[in-house]
Amino acid sequence: MASSKRMRPLLGTFVEVGVHSGEMPERSINAAFDAIETVQSLMSFHDADSDLTKLNQAGGKEVTLHPHSIRVLRLARAMTSASGGLFNCTVGGALIRLGILPDHGAGAGLSSGETRDIELHGRKARLKRAVHITLDGIAKGYAVDCAVRAMKANGVKAGWVNAGGDLRVFGDLVLPVQRREIDGSYRTLGGLQEASIATTSVRAVHDKTFPAWVFSDSRTPEAGTWSVLARKAWRADALTKVASLANPAERSALIERLGGKLAIPNME
Amino acid sequence: MSKSNLNGLWLLPVAAIVTPAYAQDYLTAEQAQKSIFSEAETYQPILLKLNEGQRDKIKALSGLRQRWEEQKVWRVEKAGKHIGWFIVDDVVGKHEFITYGVGLSLDGHVIGIEVMSYRETKGDQIRDVNWRKHLVGKTLTDPFKLDEDVPNISGATLSCRNVMDGVKRLLALQKVALTNG
Repeated sequence: MASSKRMRPLLGTFVEVGVHSGEMPERSINAAFDAIETVQSLMSFHDADSDLTKLNQAGGKEVTLHPHSIRVLRLARAMTSASGGLFNCTVGGALIRLGILPDHGAGAGLSSGETRDIELHGRKARLKRAVHITLDGIAKGYAVDCAVRAMKANGVKAGWVNAGGDLRVFGDLVLPVQRREIDGSYRTLGGLQEASIATTSVRAVHDKTFPAWVFSDSRTPEAGTWSVLARKAWRADALTKVASLANPAERSALIERLGGKLAIPNME
Repeated sequence: MSKSNLNGLWLLPVAAIVTPAYAQDYLTAEQAQKSIFSEAETYQPILLKLNEGQRDKIKALSGLRQRWEEQKVWRVEKAGKHIGWFIVDDVVGKHEFITYGVGLSLDGHVIGIEVMSYRETKGDQIRDVNWRKHLVGKTLTDPFKLDEDVPNISGATLSCRNVMDGVKRLLALQKVALTNG
Protein backbone atom coordinates (compact mmCIF):
# COMPACT_ATOMS: atom_id res chain seq x y z
CA MET A 1 0.00 0.00 0.00
CA ALA A 2 1.07 3.57 -0.42
CA SER A 3 2.38 5.23 2.71
CA SER A 4 0.29 7.85 4.41
CA LYS A 5 2.18 10.63 6.14
CA ARG A 6 1.70 14.03 7.69
CA MET A 7 3.80 16.77 9.24
CA ARG A 8 3.13 19.24 12.02
CA PRO A 9 5.23 21.85 13.79
CA LEU A 10 5.86 20.36 17.25
CA LEU A 11 8.72 20.04 19.76
CA GLY A 12 10.25 23.19 18.29
CA THR A 13 10.80 21.46 14.98
CA PHE A 14 8.90 19.63 12.24
CA VAL A 15 7.51 16.23 13.12
CA GLU A 16 6.64 13.76 10.38
CA VAL A 17 4.49 10.72 11.15
CA GLY A 18 4.15 8.00 8.54
CA VAL A 19 2.04 4.85 8.34
CA HIS A 20 3.38 2.26 5.93
CA SER A 21 0.90 -0.49 6.65
CA GLY A 22 -1.99 -0.73 9.07
CA GLU A 23 -5.66 -0.01 9.47
CA MET A 24 -7.08 3.51 9.63
CA PRO A 25 -3.86 5.48 9.08
CA GLU A 26 -5.51 8.86 9.73
CA ARG A 27 -6.64 7.89 13.21
CA SER A 28 -3.22 6.44 14.02
CA ILE A 29 -1.42 9.53 12.79
CA ASN A 30 -3.64 11.72 14.96
CA ALA A 31 -2.94 9.47 17.95
CA ALA A 32 0.79 9.80 17.31
CA PHE A 33 0.60 13.60 17.18
CA ASP A 34 -1.52 13.63 20.35
CA ALA A 35 1.13 11.56 22.15
CA ILE A 36 3.83 14.01 21.08
CA GLU A 37 1.79 17.00 22.21
CA THR A 38 1.35 15.38 25.62
CA VAL A 39 5.09 14.92 26.08
CA GLN A 40 5.72 18.45 24.80
CA SER A 41 3.30 19.96 27.30
CA LEU A 42 4.85 18.00 30.19
CA MET A 43 8.55 18.41 29.51
CA SER A 44 9.03 21.82 27.94
CA PHE A 45 11.45 24.05 29.82
CA HIS A 46 9.97 27.10 28.09
CA ASP A 47 6.38 26.37 29.10
CA ALA A 48 5.58 27.95 32.47
CA ASP A 49 2.87 25.32 33.09
CA SER A 50 4.82 22.16 32.26
CA ASP A 51 5.58 19.41 34.77
CA LEU A 52 9.26 20.21 34.34
CA THR A 53 8.76 23.88 35.25
CA LYS A 54 6.66 22.80 38.23
CA LEU A 55 9.60 20.71 39.45
CA ASN A 56 12.23 23.37 38.71
CA GLN A 57 10.21 26.09 40.45
CA ALA A 58 9.22 24.04 43.51
CA GLY A 59 12.00 25.44 45.68
CA GLY A 60 13.05 22.04 46.96
CA LYS A 61 9.52 20.91 47.75
CA GLU A 62 8.12 17.60 46.56
CA VAL A 63 5.80 17.72 43.54
CA THR A 64 3.53 15.09 41.98
CA LEU A 65 4.16 14.60 38.29
CA HIS A 66 2.70 12.72 35.33
CA PRO A 67 4.08 9.15 34.95
CA HIS A 68 5.70 10.18 31.64
CA SER A 69 7.60 12.95 33.40
CA ILE A 70 8.76 10.60 36.16
CA ARG A 71 9.84 8.04 33.56
CA VAL A 72 11.92 10.57 31.60
CA LEU A 73 13.46 11.96 34.79
CA ARG A 74 14.50 8.40 35.70
CA LEU A 75 15.97 7.80 32.26
CA ALA A 76 17.74 11.17 32.25
CA ARG A 77 19.16 10.60 35.71
CA ALA A 78 20.35 7.12 34.79
CA MET A 79 21.95 8.35 31.56
CA THR A 80 23.64 11.26 33.37
CA SER A 81 25.11 8.76 35.80
CA ALA A 82 26.05 6.08 33.26
CA SER A 83 27.74 8.56 30.91
CA GLY A 84 29.80 10.10 33.71
CA GLY A 85 28.04 13.40 33.16
CA LEU A 86 28.70 13.69 29.41
CA PHE A 87 24.94 13.61 29.10
CA ASN A 88 23.82 15.92 31.90
CA CYS A 89 20.23 16.79 32.64
CA THR A 90 21.15 19.20 35.47
CA VAL A 91 22.67 22.04 33.43
CA GLY A 92 19.48 24.13 33.21
CA GLY A 93 20.95 26.83 35.47
CA ALA A 94 23.92 27.33 33.18
CA LEU A 95 21.64 27.55 30.14
CA ILE A 96 19.50 30.18 31.92
CA ARG A 97 22.66 32.20 32.58
CA LEU A 98 23.59 31.97 28.92
CA GLY A 99 20.15 33.25 27.97
CA ILE A 100 19.29 30.04 26.11
CA LEU A 101 16.57 28.94 28.52
CA PRO A 102 14.08 31.24 30.26
CA ASP A 103 14.04 32.05 33.97
CA HIS A 104 10.53 31.41 35.31
CA GLY A 105 11.16 33.40 38.46
CA ALA A 106 13.30 31.23 40.72
CA GLY A 107 16.59 32.61 39.37
CA ALA A 108 19.27 30.53 37.70
CA GLY A 109 20.41 28.77 40.89
CA LEU A 110 23.35 26.40 40.54
CA SER A 111 24.85 26.15 37.06
CA SER A 112 24.76 22.38 37.23
CA GLY A 113 24.28 19.62 39.72
CA GLU A 114 24.59 15.90 40.28
CA THR A 115 22.27 12.97 39.87
CA ARG A 116 21.76 12.74 43.64
CA ASP A 117 20.08 16.16 43.50
CA ILE A 118 17.09 14.45 41.86
CA GLU A 119 14.92 12.48 44.27
CA LEU A 120 12.15 10.29 42.83
CA HIS A 121 9.55 8.25 44.74
CA GLY A 122 6.63 6.81 42.85
CA ARG A 123 4.99 9.75 41.13
CA LYS A 124 6.71 12.28 43.36
CA ALA A 125 9.83 14.22 42.52
CA ARG A 126 12.00 16.65 44.44
CA LEU A 127 15.17 18.61 43.74
CA LYS A 128 17.43 18.60 46.78
CA ARG A 129 19.45 21.64 45.68
CA ALA A 130 18.69 24.71 43.54
CA VAL A 131 19.39 23.00 40.24
CA HIS A 132 17.33 23.28 37.06
CA ILE A 133 16.63 20.08 35.17
CA THR A 134 16.51 20.27 31.40
CA LEU A 135 15.15 17.34 29.40
CA ASP A 136 15.87 18.86 26.00
CA GLY A 137 18.43 16.20 25.18
CA ILE A 138 16.13 13.26 25.76
CA ALA A 139 12.45 14.29 25.70
CA LYS A 140 12.25 14.67 21.93
CA GLY A 141 13.37 11.08 21.48
CA TYR A 142 11.02 9.96 24.24
CA ALA A 143 8.16 11.74 22.46
CA VAL A 144 9.01 9.78 19.32
CA ASP A 145 8.87 6.53 21.33
CA CYS A 146 5.46 7.50 22.74
CA ALA A 147 4.17 8.28 19.25
CA VAL A 148 5.36 4.89 18.00
CA ARG A 149 3.60 3.18 20.91
CA ALA A 150 0.39 5.06 20.10
CA MET A 151 0.59 3.98 16.46
CA LYS A 152 1.13 0.33 17.39
CA ALA A 153 -1.80 0.50 19.81
CA ASN A 154 -3.93 1.73 16.90
CA GLY A 155 -3.00 -1.27 14.78
CA VAL A 156 -0.19 0.16 12.68
CA LYS A 157 2.05 -2.69 11.52
CA ALA A 158 4.84 -0.59 10.06
CA GLY A 159 5.61 3.09 10.15
CA TRP A 160 7.91 5.84 11.32
CA VAL A 161 8.13 9.06 13.31
CA ASN A 162 10.72 11.73 12.56
CA ALA A 163 10.94 14.63 15.01
CA GLY A 164 13.42 16.98 13.39
CA GLY A 165 15.94 14.21 12.80
CA ASP A 166 15.12 11.99 15.78
CA LEU A 167 13.76 9.14 13.72
CA ARG A 168 12.33 5.75 14.68
CA VAL A 169 11.18 3.11 12.21
CA PHE A 170 9.19 0.00 13.10
CA GLY A 171 7.68 -3.01 11.39
CA ASP A 172 8.40 -4.50 8.01
CA LEU A 173 9.84 -1.39 6.45
CA VAL A 174 13.30 -0.22 5.47
CA LEU A 175 13.37 3.56 5.46
CA PRO A 176 16.10 5.27 3.46
CA VAL A 177 17.88 7.85 5.60
CA GLN A 178 20.07 10.75 4.68
CA ARG A 179 21.85 13.11 6.99
CA ARG A 180 21.86 16.86 6.59
CA GLU A 181 25.34 18.16 7.26
CA ILE A 182 26.12 21.55 8.79
CA ASP A 183 26.83 23.01 5.33
CA GLY A 184 23.37 21.98 4.12
CA SER A 185 24.54 19.10 1.97
CA TYR A 186 23.13 15.59 2.38
CA ARG A 187 24.94 12.35 3.00
CA THR A 188 23.50 8.89 2.68
CA LEU A 189 23.38 6.87 5.87
CA GLY A 190 21.48 3.85 4.54
CA GLY A 191 18.20 2.11 5.24
CA LEU A 192 16.83 2.04 8.77
CA GLN A 193 14.73 -0.85 10.07
CA GLU A 194 13.40 -1.58 13.60
CA ALA A 195 15.72 1.06 15.00
CA SER A 196 16.12 4.70 15.91
CA ILE A 197 18.63 7.28 14.83
CA ALA A 198 19.28 10.75 16.18
CA THR A 199 21.66 13.42 15.02
CA THR A 200 23.15 16.44 16.73
CA SER A 201 25.18 19.08 14.98
CA VAL A 202 27.74 21.06 16.89
CA ARG A 203 29.08 24.23 15.38
CA ALA A 204 32.53 25.54 16.09
CA VAL A 205 31.00 28.91 16.89
CA HIS A 206 27.65 28.98 18.65
CA ASP A 207 24.88 30.66 16.76
CA LYS A 208 21.96 31.87 18.84
CA THR A 209 19.51 31.32 16.04
CA PHE A 210 20.50 27.68 15.75
CA PRO A 211 18.12 25.62 17.86
CA ALA A 212 20.37 22.74 18.88
CA TRP A 213 22.91 23.25 21.61
CA VAL A 214 25.26 20.89 23.28
CA PHE A 215 26.40 22.29 26.56
CA SER A 216 28.75 20.92 29.16
CA ASP A 217 30.22 22.65 32.17
CA SER A 218 33.32 20.50 31.96
CA ARG A 219 34.05 19.75 28.32
CA THR A 220 33.86 21.49 24.96
CA PRO A 221 31.81 19.60 22.39
CA GLU A 222 33.61 18.67 19.23
CA ALA A 223 32.33 20.51 16.16
CA GLY A 224 30.73 18.16 13.70
CA THR A 225 27.62 16.12 13.09
CA TRP A 226 27.03 13.16 15.37
CA SER A 227 24.54 10.40 14.67
CA VAL A 228 23.74 7.51 16.97
CA LEU A 229 21.63 4.41 16.42
CA ALA A 230 19.73 2.72 19.20
CA ARG A 231 16.64 0.58 19.53
CA LYS A 232 14.64 3.39 21.14
CA ALA A 233 14.66 7.04 20.18
CA TRP A 234 15.18 8.47 23.69
CA ARG A 235 18.49 6.63 23.93
CA ALA A 236 19.65 7.66 20.46
CA ASP A 237 18.72 11.27 21.29
CA ALA A 238 20.65 11.29 24.58
CA LEU A 239 23.67 9.50 23.14
CA THR A 240 24.25 12.09 20.41
CA LYS A 241 25.21 14.49 23.20
CA VAL A 242 27.57 11.90 24.66
CA ALA A 243 29.09 11.39 21.20
CA SER A 244 29.82 15.09 20.74
CA LEU A 245 31.48 15.38 24.15
CA ALA A 246 33.31 12.04 24.39
CA ASN A 247 37.03 11.63 24.12
CA PRO A 248 37.53 10.66 20.42
CA ALA A 249 39.56 7.58 21.30
CA GLU A 250 36.78 6.22 23.49
CA ARG A 251 33.76 7.56 21.65
CA SER A 252 32.67 4.50 19.75
CA ALA A 253 33.19 2.04 22.63
CA LEU A 254 31.47 4.36 25.11
CA ILE A 255 28.40 4.75 22.90
CA GLU A 256 28.18 0.96 22.54
CA ARG A 257 28.54 0.45 26.28
CA LEU A 258 25.61 2.84 26.75
CA GLY A 259 23.42 0.84 24.36
CA GLY A 260 23.91 2.68 21.08
CA LYS A 261 26.07 2.66 18.01
CA LEU A 262 27.76 5.53 16.18
CA ALA A 263 26.41 5.86 12.66
CA ILE A 264 28.95 6.84 10.05
CA PRO A 265 27.84 8.09 6.62
CA ASN A 266 28.55 5.83 3.69
CA MET A 267 31.90 7.17 2.48
CA GLU A 268 33.08 4.36 0.24
CA MET B 1 18.70 -3.65 26.21
CA SER B 2 18.90 -5.97 23.27
CA LYS B 3 21.69 -5.10 20.91
CA SER B 4 20.41 -7.31 18.17
CA ASN B 5 18.66 -4.44 16.46
CA LEU B 6 21.62 -2.16 16.42
CA ASN B 7 22.64 -3.37 13.02
CA GLY B 8 19.43 -1.85 11.76
CA LEU B 9 21.29 0.64 9.64
CA TRP B 10 21.97 -1.29 6.50
CA LEU B 11 24.72 -0.01 4.36
CA LEU B 12 22.68 -0.05 1.20
CA PRO B 13 22.70 2.68 -1.39
CA VAL B 14 19.80 5.09 -1.38
CA ALA B 15 19.10 6.24 -4.87
CA ALA B 16 16.80 7.55 -7.55
CA ILE B 17 16.02 10.87 -5.99
CA VAL B 18 14.71 12.74 -8.97
CA THR B 19 15.28 16.15 -7.47
CA PRO B 20 18.20 16.51 -5.10
CA ALA B 21 16.53 19.06 -2.81
CA TYR B 22 14.43 17.50 -0.09
CA ALA B 23 10.78 18.05 -0.90
CA GLN B 24 7.61 16.48 0.42
CA ASP B 25 3.95 17.11 -0.22
CA TYR B 26 1.67 16.09 2.63
CA LEU B 27 -1.81 17.46 2.17
CA THR B 28 -3.84 19.44 -0.33
CA ALA B 29 -5.74 22.45 1.03
CA GLU B 30 -8.88 20.33 1.04
CA GLN B 31 -7.25 17.52 2.99
CA ALA B 32 -5.76 19.97 5.50
CA GLN B 33 -9.20 21.52 6.02
CA LYS B 34 -10.73 18.13 6.77
CA SER B 35 -7.91 17.21 9.11
CA ILE B 36 -8.28 20.40 11.17
CA PHE B 37 -12.07 20.85 11.08
CA SER B 38 -13.21 17.25 11.04
CA GLU B 39 -16.80 18.11 11.85
CA ALA B 40 -17.08 21.02 9.46
CA GLU B 41 -19.24 20.91 6.39
CA THR B 42 -18.51 23.69 3.96
CA TYR B 43 -15.53 25.81 3.05
CA GLN B 44 -16.16 29.04 1.25
CA PRO B 45 -13.02 30.44 -0.38
CA ILE B 46 -12.25 34.14 -0.07
CA LEU B 47 -9.31 35.86 -1.73
CA LEU B 48 -8.50 38.37 0.94
CA LYS B 49 -6.89 41.60 -0.30
CA LEU B 50 -5.05 43.62 2.29
CA ASN B 51 -4.41 47.32 1.89
CA GLU B 52 -1.33 49.04 3.23
CA GLY B 53 -3.08 50.23 6.39
CA GLN B 54 -4.18 46.69 7.23
CA ARG B 55 -0.69 45.35 6.63
CA ASP B 56 0.75 48.02 8.92
CA LYS B 57 -1.74 47.04 11.62
CA ILE B 58 -0.77 43.37 11.29
CA LYS B 59 2.86 44.37 11.74
CA ALA B 60 1.99 46.48 14.77
CA LEU B 61 -0.05 43.69 16.40
CA SER B 62 2.23 40.74 15.68
CA GLY B 63 5.62 42.31 15.17
CA LEU B 64 5.80 40.43 11.89
CA ARG B 65 5.59 41.77 8.39
CA GLN B 66 2.70 40.74 6.14
CA ARG B 67 4.72 40.39 2.97
CA TRP B 68 1.95 39.68 0.51
CA GLU B 69 -1.15 41.68 -0.31
CA GLU B 70 -3.36 38.65 -0.89
CA GLN B 71 -4.05 35.76 1.45
CA LYS B 72 -6.04 32.60 0.71
CA VAL B 73 -8.76 32.28 3.34
CA TRP B 74 -11.72 29.92 3.67
CA ARG B 75 -14.78 30.68 5.73
CA VAL B 76 -15.68 27.44 7.53
CA GLU B 77 -19.33 26.66 8.14
CA LYS B 78 -21.16 23.85 9.84
CA ALA B 79 -24.88 23.49 9.18
CA GLY B 80 -24.97 27.04 7.86
CA LYS B 81 -23.27 28.44 10.95
CA HIS B 82 -19.89 30.16 10.75
CA ILE B 83 -17.46 28.23 13.00
CA GLY B 84 -13.98 29.36 11.98
CA TRP B 85 -11.41 30.26 9.38
CA PHE B 86 -8.93 28.20 7.41
CA ILE B 87 -5.91 30.05 6.03
CA VAL B 88 -3.12 28.84 3.75
CA ASP B 89 0.22 30.52 4.18
CA ASP B 90 3.84 30.18 3.06
CA VAL B 91 6.99 30.69 5.06
CA VAL B 92 10.37 31.08 3.50
CA GLY B 93 13.30 30.35 5.77
CA LYS B 94 17.03 30.13 5.31
CA HIS B 95 16.79 26.44 4.54
CA GLU B 96 13.14 25.79 3.93
CA PHE B 97 10.06 26.75 2.01
CA ILE B 98 6.91 25.60 3.74
CA THR B 99 3.25 25.82 2.84
CA TYR B 100 0.94 25.20 5.75
CA GLY B 101 -2.71 25.48 6.65
CA VAL B 102 -4.03 26.79 9.93
CA GLY B 103 -7.51 26.62 11.42
CA LEU B 104 -8.61 29.53 13.61
CA SER B 105 -11.66 29.71 15.83
CA LEU B 106 -13.88 32.79 15.70
CA ASP B 107 -12.51 33.98 19.03
CA GLY B 108 -8.95 33.89 17.73
CA HIS B 109 -7.58 30.55 18.90
CA VAL B 110 -5.52 28.09 16.88
CA ILE B 111 -7.51 24.92 16.26
CA GLY B 112 -4.82 23.12 14.30
CA ILE B 113 -1.80 23.47 12.04
CA GLU B 114 -0.91 21.09 9.21
CA VAL B 115 2.14 21.31 7.02
CA MET B 116 0.95 20.92 3.42
CA SER B 117 4.32 20.91 1.70
CA TYR B 118 7.86 21.07 2.97
CA ARG B 119 10.91 21.91 0.92
CA GLU B 120 14.49 22.27 1.97
CA THR B 121 16.07 24.76 -0.36
CA LYS B 122 19.71 24.74 0.56
CA GLY B 123 20.45 21.16 -0.29
CA ASP B 124 20.07 21.52 -4.01
CA GLN B 125 23.73 20.96 -4.64
CA ILE B 126 24.97 17.55 -3.81
CA ARG B 127 28.56 17.97 -2.80
CA ASP B 128 29.04 14.36 -1.92
CA VAL B 129 30.28 12.87 -5.15
CA ASN B 130 29.84 9.34 -3.82
CA TRP B 131 26.19 9.98 -3.39
CA ARG B 132 25.91 10.63 -7.12
CA LYS B 133 27.52 7.27 -7.68
CA HIS B 134 24.64 5.71 -5.78
CA LEU B 135 22.23 7.39 -8.15
CA VAL B 136 23.98 5.76 -11.06
CA GLY B 137 23.99 2.40 -9.33
CA LYS B 138 20.25 2.17 -8.92
CA THR B 139 18.89 -1.08 -10.32
CA LEU B 140 15.54 -2.79 -10.44
CA THR B 141 16.60 -5.19 -7.73
CA ASP B 142 17.19 -2.44 -5.19
CA PRO B 143 14.92 -3.00 -2.25
CA PHE B 144 13.27 0.40 -2.16
CA LYS B 145 9.90 0.89 -3.74
CA LEU B 146 9.40 4.05 -5.71
CA ASP B 147 7.15 5.71 -3.17
CA GLU B 148 9.78 5.22 -0.49
CA ASP B 149 12.64 6.59 -2.47
CA VAL B 150 12.58 10.03 -0.95
CA PRO B 151 14.61 9.44 2.16
CA ASN B 152 13.93 10.68 5.63
CA ILE B 153 16.37 13.22 6.96
CA SER B 154 18.27 13.02 10.19
CA GLY B 155 20.39 16.04 10.90
CA ALA B 156 20.78 19.39 12.53
CA THR B 157 17.31 20.15 13.84
CA LEU B 158 15.50 22.79 11.84
CA SER B 159 13.45 25.15 13.94
CA CYS B 160 9.72 25.46 13.30
CA ARG B 161 9.87 29.03 14.50
CA ASN B 162 9.11 30.45 11.06
CA VAL B 163 5.80 28.62 10.99
CA MET B 164 4.94 29.61 14.56
CA ASP B 165 5.69 33.24 13.66
CA GLY B 166 3.51 32.84 10.58
CA VAL B 167 0.62 31.65 12.74
CA LYS B 168 1.10 34.61 15.05
CA ARG B 169 0.92 36.90 12.02
CA LEU B 170 -2.27 35.21 10.81
CA LEU B 171 -3.90 35.68 14.22
CA ALA B 172 -3.22 39.40 13.80
CA LEU B 173 -4.56 39.24 10.25
CA GLN B 174 -7.75 37.71 11.59
CA LYS B 175 -8.24 40.63 13.99
CA VAL B 176 -7.47 43.21 11.35
CA ALA B 177 -9.23 41.87 8.27
CA LEU B 178 -11.71 39.07 9.03
CA THR B 179 -15.17 39.70 10.36
CA ASN B 180 -17.21 37.08 12.16
CA GLY B 181 -20.81 36.38 11.39
